[in-house]
Amino acid sequence: MTTPNRLRLLATYVAGRSVDVAEAPIGDPAHTNGHVIFVSAGAPLEQQRREILVQSALLGAGSLDARLVRRLRGHPVVARRYLALEGSRVLTDLADRLPLAADLDVTAVTTSADESLARARTRSDIPDPPAWFGVLKPSQLVSSTGIVLRATDNDVAAPNVSPRDATDEDEEDGPTEGSKVLRLFQAPLGGMAAVANFLRNILGGSRSEADESAGAELRVRAIRRAQRAGPLARPLPTRIHFTSDDRPGAALGVNGALHPEWDVFADRYRPDWCRVIDFPLTATADVSAAGVARDDALRRRLCRIGLGPKLLRARPDGDELDIEALVDLCVDLRSGYSPPENVYVERRKLARNLGVLILIDASGSATDTDPDGLAVHDHQRRAAATLAVTLEELGDRVAVYAFRSHGRHAVHLMAVKTFDQRFGATGRARLNRLAPSGFTRLGAGIRGAGEILKNQAGTPNRLLVVLSDGHPYDDGYEGRYAQADTARALEELRADGVACLCLSIGSDTDVEALGRVFGSAGFAGAATLSELSPRMDDLFVAALGELSAPQPR
Amino acid sequence: MTVSDIRPSAENTPFYRAVGDEVEVFRAAARRGLPVLLKGPTGCGKTRFVEAMAHELGRDLITVAGHEDMTSADLVGRFLLKGGETVWVDGPLTRAVRDGAIFYLDEVVEARQDTTVVIHPLADHRRELPIDRLGTTLRAAPGFQLVISYNPGYQSVLKNLKESTRQRFVAIELGFPPADIEIQVVSREAGIDTETAAALVKLGNAIRNLDGSPLGEVASTRMLILAGGLVAEGLNLRSAIRSAVVQVLSDDADVVRALDELVDALLPRP
Repeated sequence: MTTPNRLRLLATYVAGRSVDVAEAPIGDPAHTNGHVIFVSAGAPLEQQRREILVQSALLGAGSLDARLVRRLRGHPVVARRYLALEGSRVLTDLADRLPLAADLDVTAVTTSADESLARARTRSDIPDPPAWFGVLKPSQLVSSTGIVLRATDNDVAAPNVSPRDATDEDEEDGPTEGSKVLRLFQAPLGGMAAVANFLRNILGGSRSEADESAGAELRVRAIRRAQRAGPLARPLPTRIHFTSDDRPGAALGVNGALHPEWDVFADRYRPDWCRVIDFPLTATADVSAAGVARDDALRRRLCRIGLGPKLLRARPDGDELDIEALVDLCVDLRSGYSPPENVYVERRKLARNLGVLILIDASGSATDTDPDGLAVHDHQRRAAATLAVTLEELGDRVAVYAFRSHGRHAVHLMAVKTFDQRFGATGRARLNRLAPSGFTRLGAGIRGAGEILKNQAGTPNRLLVVLSDGHPYDDGYEGRYAQADTARALEELRADGVACLCLSIGSDTDVEALGRVFGSAGFAGAATLSELSPRMDDLFVAALGELSAPQPR
Repeated sequence: MTVSDIRPSAENTPFYRAVGDEVEVFRAAARRGLPVLLKGPTGCGKTRFVEAMAHELGRDLITVAGHEDMTSADLVGRFLLKGGETVWVDGPLTRAVRDGAIFYLDEVVEARQDTTVVIHPLADHRRELPIDRLGTTLRAAPGFQLVISYNPGYQSVLKNLKESTRQRFVAIELGFPPADIEIQVVSREAGIDTETAAALVKLGNAIRNLDGSPLGEVASTRMLILAGGLVAEGLNLRSAIRSAVVQVLSDDADVVRALDELVDALLPRP
């Protein structure tokens, strides 16, 4: 199968703005909805390339502006005639700029989009466009706002496993009695694991029932091979490759994975349950709205957090001699100059090695307003901006993501700032423009953000800061179930060495619920960020400290 | 291969084509002895600009590239042991100050901030260099001028220029030249015909103007000249671009494929 992905830069160049390329559902001709160009599935690359050219040229020439397209709605014949005329016109125009377009055998009859439209509405004879011109879908063009790319249920074909199926399969093969002696030989890592297990059995450190999932119920880094995973074995997220249906992939930075979810009632994981998709936020934003409040208290507090040792040369004190400085000193002394005796190598905690991912709850529940007319969401946004700016200035790795969900198939992580970008005016403006909507599937959001943090932060100390009111709520995701799943997601992250901290700003969430979800040390709430600033270092340290002292289960 | 093979004209004047008023600004700053800060993306001609100006003004140019282990002694000079005796050896900065040369500190933010403080007394009205090991203070010779360059947005936030350093400088921002000038530059530097140069520049601009580009850096003028140089050596344009532009810009197989498609579409048909 050819991947239309490789044509994305070409399409972007011709259209003059960022567009995605994807394969249309099988049988559909090429078309565009204004920000994604769909090409015929399974067609040869040559044809897909031509389809891309004509569709992106139409976008680039402004032939698909709402003004023109609106008049094509409900007139499929006119739309077809317009496509024939206008497609030839834009391709002929393009031929001057793009040698590839000159190869296509088209001749322009009209000179402007308006003329094409006027001609298309007459009764004159217009030959049908070639098949690779595809079709125009006026309704899609008009309805697409072009602001935020949204991946929804229809976007990615994923196997939907209903919980019933999974449970049935579980019950089919009940626990079988196996020989303990034989089980010793199952150990894939040879005698060591077997001996360890044997000792553990004898000493009673951990009981092991005679079932098939020997050892697999040990949650942390179990290495015994088992026929089936135990109920506590955490399914790994399954990467989604956006080539199966109609979503563009890696070149745009769109990533996705199916994450498991913890079902507290059944006391088991539901594997591949939530589809978490992260994509860059591409809204155009007014840069003048990029003001960020400074917080000196916060800066002073945070500058001592997450430091790693750094080698300093030519220091007055230290553990080892700096040979180079020593030689210099000798030379200086011989030549009659007495410099200060800075000849030691010192290790001091100066290098920043903290990676922070700030996860903002962009769901609709954050719209409740306070007496000043500021919504919870506004508070969270401001706090996120201030935190991100402060941490970035201090030299930490920072990323800012917003998340919301529409059911378990559409958990969206929107990258306001990735780890590798700088938090420039555009990023700040985008953050300020973030409009709350949707729901809060917090567990999935945390798992998705945790993956990003683990893979991209590249620092030894990693911290996930969740700015949320702490009300997980989504379709089939509420109450105890939601809280348990979120708590489990956090526990997983901590087991993987990622610290978590929840800041609940501007909302009056009940402390008890937050404590149940995040653990007593893992959250803090206040009306504004500046109230928390003076003890932010304690909060960060406490969150990072939880890692070294795992909580008993 | 001799140098004259590369530059058929056999002249030593560094080729620089002015785009805006940067030459006038530099001349005025040079007359006043004001230090200059050059900003611009990598490969847009900062170093070449300084070379050309030094040549035009008839001054020596001393270039030092900043790196993070650079100490002030690397700039000012140090005592060296020579056969049981110690000998003072001037650093590049001291030499420039004595001789009245242009001192060009490339990628200044790579150097540690305490190192860059050495240039402060040179960069304001004092125009002097204290050399603590000799116990003297050197007054800058009349022709001395300090030029530093940096690439905003490229380095980490920590590696920013201190305000106190910045504010001593006259800033000149250089960008990639407009297409017609860049075609001249590429064709001359690489020794290729205008048509090939135009194709290269068109490609360069296409890559620079990509909206939502997955690339960290864009195709610089230097990169286009490199590709042109390969063409001048007899390589066909397609493989020259593949080696000097596409493969250099990205390691990601997807992005490389997508760039290849763009290149194919933009290159003149064979």
